[in-house]
Amino acid sequence: MLYVKNLYKSYQVGKTDYPVLKGISLQVAQGEFTAVMGPSGSGKSTLLNCISCYIPFEEGKITLGGQELKGLDARELARVRNEKLGFVFQDFMLLDGLTVRENVLVPKIIEGTVSKEDEERCVTLLKLFGIYGIREKYPAEISGGEKQRTAVARSLMNQPLLILADEPTGNLDSKSSRAVIDSFLEARDQMNATIFMVTHDSFAASFCDRVVLLKDGKVYKQLERVEERSQFQDRLLDAIKEMSGDDK
Amino acid sequence: MRKMADLERKLQRKDRYQASLYLFCNFMALLLVTAYSAMMQSATVQRVFPEGGDSRKQMYMIFGLTLFGCIVFTLYASSLFFRKKSRQMGILMALGASAGKLAPGLFREVLFLSTVSGLAGIAGGIPFVSLLWNLFRVLVVDSEEMELELVWSFLWIPALLLVFTVCCVCVMAYRYLKKTDIISVVQEEHKNELAKNWGRWCGPVGIVLTVAGAVLGYFGSSVYMEIARAYPPVWLNGFYLIAFFGLYLVMLHTVVHGWGIRRKKQYKNLIARSMMKFQGRQTVNNLLVISVLFAGGVFALFYMPALGSGVLLAAQRMEYDYMGSWRADQQMLTQEEIREKAKTYGVTVKNWKETEYVSLGIGSKVQTEKDGKLVIEYQELAAEGRFLSESTLASVTGKEVQVESGTYRAVTDQDEGNRLYLMTAGDRITNMSTMEQIPVSFAGYTCCNMLSDRDTKSVYVLDDGDYERIVRGAEEEWRGNMFLFQVEGEDSYPFAKDLFYSYVDCFGAECEIPSYYDRVEKVCAEQEGQVYWGDTEVMTQVSYEKPDSTEFRSYWAYMLKSRILEKTDSLQTFAVFFMMFLFASIVCFAAAVVIGYTRCRTIAALNRYVFEDLKRLGASPGFLRREVRNQCGKVYQIPFLTGSFVMYLFFLMVFYANDGKYVSSEFLALLICLGILAVLGGVLYGIYQKTLSGILRELKIENSREKDRKK
Repeated sequence: MLYVKNLYKSYQVGKTDYPVLKGISLQVAQGEFTAVMGPSGSGKSTLLNCISCYIPFEEGKITLGGQELKGLDARELARVRNEKLGFVFQDFMLLDGLTVRENVLVPKIIEGTVSKEDEERCVTLLKLFGIYGIREKYPAEISGGEKQRTAVARSLMNQPLLILADEPTGNLDSKSSRAVIDSFLEARDQMNATIFMVTHDSFAASFCDRVVLLKDGKVYKQLERVEERSQFQDRLLDAIKEMSGDDK
Repeated sequence: MRKMADLERKLQRKDRYQASLYLFCNFMALLLVTAYSAMMQSATVQRVFPEGGDSRKQMYMIFGLTLFGCIVFTLYASSLFFRKKSRQMGILMALGASAGKLAPGLFREVLFLSTVSGLAGIAGGIPFVSLLWNLFRVLVVDSEEMELELVWSFLWIPALLLVFTVCCVCVMAYRYLKKTDIISVVQEEHKNELAKNWGRWCGPVGIVLTVAGAVLGYFGSSVYMEIARAYPPVWLNGFYLIAFFGLYLVMLHTVVHGWGIRRKKQYKNLIARSMMKFQGRQTVNNLLVISVLFAGGVFALFYMPALGSGVLLAAQRMEYDYMGSWRADQQMLTQEEIREKAKTYGVTVKNWKETEYVSLGIGSKVQTEKDGKLVIEYQELAAEGRFLSESTLASVTGKEVQVESGTYRAVTDQDEGNRLYLMTAGDRITNMSTMEQIPVSFAGYTCCNMLSDRDTKSVYVLDDGDYERIVRGAEEEWRGNMFLFQVEGEDSYPFAKDLFYSYVDCFGAECEIPSYYDRVEKVCAEQEGQVYWGDTEVMTQVSYEKPDSTEFRSYWAYMLKSRILEKTDSLQTFAVFFMMFLFASIVCFAAAVVIGYTRCRTIAALNRYVFEDLKRLGASPGFLRREVRNQCGKVYQIPFLTGSFVMYLFFLMVFYANDGKYVSSEFLALLICLGILAVLGGVLYGIYQKTLSGILRELKIENSREKDRKK
């Protein structure tokens, strides 16, 4: 589904180049729920932004559903974002002037026009994530958890190949975080959605099928989940400790 | 809602608030520029303001300033609009909307907003100027000259500005759509714009540079002329840029460091200062533009007392109530006729004096331009002057005047305010009919307020014997007479007006000349086969057909002097000047206040989250109010103080440069200017308070007045 090979990305501050991604390679399979973890500055968000086509990268290859992203022009990149990707952000990124229902429909509106089937799908998503009752409310009138569930529903509206989530539980309390993770699991289980999530939260990551640990712009380790969630979380924490211990 | 257009419409409806700020700023910019250009280009103003004169240049200069200020605040408002809009655009881009998809909606919106607000501004500018003009006529002064005649060609100025603003906003929209880094588009609204973090030296250095730039800019030309003996090149005006840079440093210091003593207030203003610092670039630019606009407004306001106080003081100091002078070849009203006329108005004439004078050529060293260089050369016939005998002057002033034979004295007022215009290096006088000459030397000044006026011909005094000698053989066109008289008890304005019109009727076409028309220079020019410049269109002319025009009253060579006319009509004579400059100041202040208000609104909008966090950290309403006040206060206070200080300094220099000293009318003007500043400060304080309470309401911080009300 997603192939990332030898990805390099650096930021220029003044005349100095600061490399952030130093040859990252990874892949995500269809229907897989993958998390990326790592300390601040390890390149998690930059990796996500490159895959999202939000920022250009210098070297490497990103292939999504068989289509290589590098070399696409602005219009083609926009089409990829609209048709093949779904997004969930830490600060929700809902449009304040639209209701919950309208926000969920936005990807379809961008695509062209909203059909009867799209409206029905929207209702299905609203019901699936428990936000049908607040569908006519505006973002300012709902809680953080509800906002994020709206964002998850929106990310699924166009039936994308991949959902990219950047710290989706970062701004939420534990109850809302759990609700959002449940939404992702629901999307994976019921719609066979592929999810790629950047997180700091080991609890959220412990629900994933696989966790990629990043350190200093490189893949440090990848952990497959084969055990119970709590045991996986312990293993994850040990790996994080080990990764931090290397610094000493 | 099924289509992109529906979505955009809904979002636009929700974004009314941020669009309203842009609409307001663009509307105000176009309104102010339309009103100013309508007035500036009106036939009324063009007729009254002398072509090539200082007042006209100043009017254009202030217009330039206003235009600059208006352009800055429309650009600022549009950048704010896009900053607010960027999050929305960024989200849509992130969700897959291409630039091509967003472009139609965005361009439609910005074109609609900029065009509608701009056209409304232009449409509103015309009634606005009529309203202000007529209010001035009703409340302050009215004269025939003040009939507002608009010349519609002025519309090209606001039309050009409208096109410019529309183009600017479209270019901005295009640049946003062209951005490839979507994350930066989304975060645009919260992007910090740090000001340059120069050291604490920038404040004091800024003050020094501001003062130095103003002094160098003003006196640079005369110093250059003194040293290089040539007319100053245009680049010398570049010294004013030093003052501008100085102002920038002052504003930078205000925003980054503040003017308090660091150790004492290290923590007191920490939060407000850091908020200002992190939006510093725009704040400094805004403060700078507001300061320049305040300076322009204050300059225009000071014009009135600077002009008016001199006129009123001169009228106050006249030794006689009336004085007229005419060439001997003109048929003037007789004493009897004037007494008779006075009687019909119940006025009694007393202390009638009738004297004679002669116009002579004065030989002196004068500065002329040759091949681009200023050279001082001697000319036997350098200028025309009116000469009286010492006994004539004594009979007029009632004081003994001693003038040695072979010398002459120049007549000046008690402040010696017209010294600059007098020939004090003359070495011979010439009878222009016989061309007989007498060598003379300058022997100092003698005082007679009535006979000294920088707008009429200069008057000199000779020894009786010398006068007798030089006047012999002078033809009537070079000889002249004067009458001076007082009135018993209270004077009558209708009598003065009637006398003035009858007096003007006595003069022939040969006397329809301004005071700066020099007949001696004309003789010289004609002797050299040249046309005297006064006979060309270059010199502003006066006309008997418009005896009430500012030009005629100010510059006619034989203007009747009347205390009551000067006092009563001075405001009317200069009404159009006053109106124009008052209007210019209103426009400058309005532009400054709009920018200040927009800046304050930005403070509230950009720091909303900081104030929310401070509330959560337990900050009291009093503390929050202080933090808001600390920022909003500076937006009005510092530019006002700076602009006023710079203009006060400028006027101090102008007054000093006039004659190398300060005279009583100038002291009076400076005092009036201080009063004006105090009133203006009060008005501005009111506007600031109003803005502040709006901002506090927006940030949901309890206002102290509300608190009192609750108690």
